[in-house]
Amino acid sequence: VSWRSSLPPSERPGERRTAEMKKLYGKDAAKIQGMEAAMQLTFDRNCDKKQPKYWPVIPLNL
Amino acid sequence: TTLPSSSSSSGSADEEEQRLRAELRERFLRTLLLMTGKRVRFDMHEHVRVHARFGASDIDVLNLQVCDLETPLGVQREALLRSQDVIACSFEV
Amino acid sequence: MLQWRDRSPQHWHELVNHEVCVTNRDQQRFEGRVFTVDPVSASVVLLSVQESERLSVRVILGHAVTDVQILRRGTEETERQMKSVLLPDRAQSLSA
Repeated sequence: VSWRSSLPPSERPGERRTAEMKKLYGKDAAKIQGMEAAMQLTFDRNCDKKQPKYWPVIPLNL
Repeated sequence: TTLPSSSSSSGSADEEEQRLRAELRERFLRTLLLMTGKRVRFDMHEHVRVHARFGASDIDVLNLQVCDLETPLGVQREALLRSQDVIACSFEV
Repeated sequence: MLQWRDRSPQHWHELVNHEVCVTNRDQQRFEGRVFTVDPVSASVVLLSVQESERLSVRVILGHAVTDVQILRRGTEETERQMKSVLLPDRAQSLSA
């Protein structure tokens, strides 16, 4: 019943990402994607847990 | 498997570019892993220089999550640096 | 002229293992041996030996880089040394 189910498979976000990775990294795409996912997960988890604030508050590089 | 087979020469050029890009990217990601938990010096714009322990970065390297950031006004336990503010990050191995 | 960030992976890869001087927008210079250039952010990773004889790893963010000049070319030995420090668990298995 979801509107998503009417989308063609290639429009699913995860798959587009995989196709993009494949184009950039060829047969090494899965390895790079795995390393990136692990790093992003660590970043997201640290930010959830520690709630870091931007420093400095105002960007230096305007 | 969907590459056009009519131009095999450009296909192999693509493969070579993919191989080089993957090697460069893997080395960079491993550098960030090596930096994790280390005390890092950040050279920033406006001649700002601070030290902190590196936590993690998002995959596009837009934000750097750090701990124990020594700012001119004291220590901030948890912080995010915008990579646009940062010129260089240095650490020792 | 082509901006640093718009260079090709081939161009970046050709700098690996060579001693270079990286110039940034503020006309600061950083010297060291290139370990890699991130193809996503165009950031340069340089290795250099400190006075303390420890190795310094420096990541110069791609947005700040304006120019990279080769100073001295690396050898198979410098490439091997760099890998043994930064890719220790792969140093043995890379003979293939």
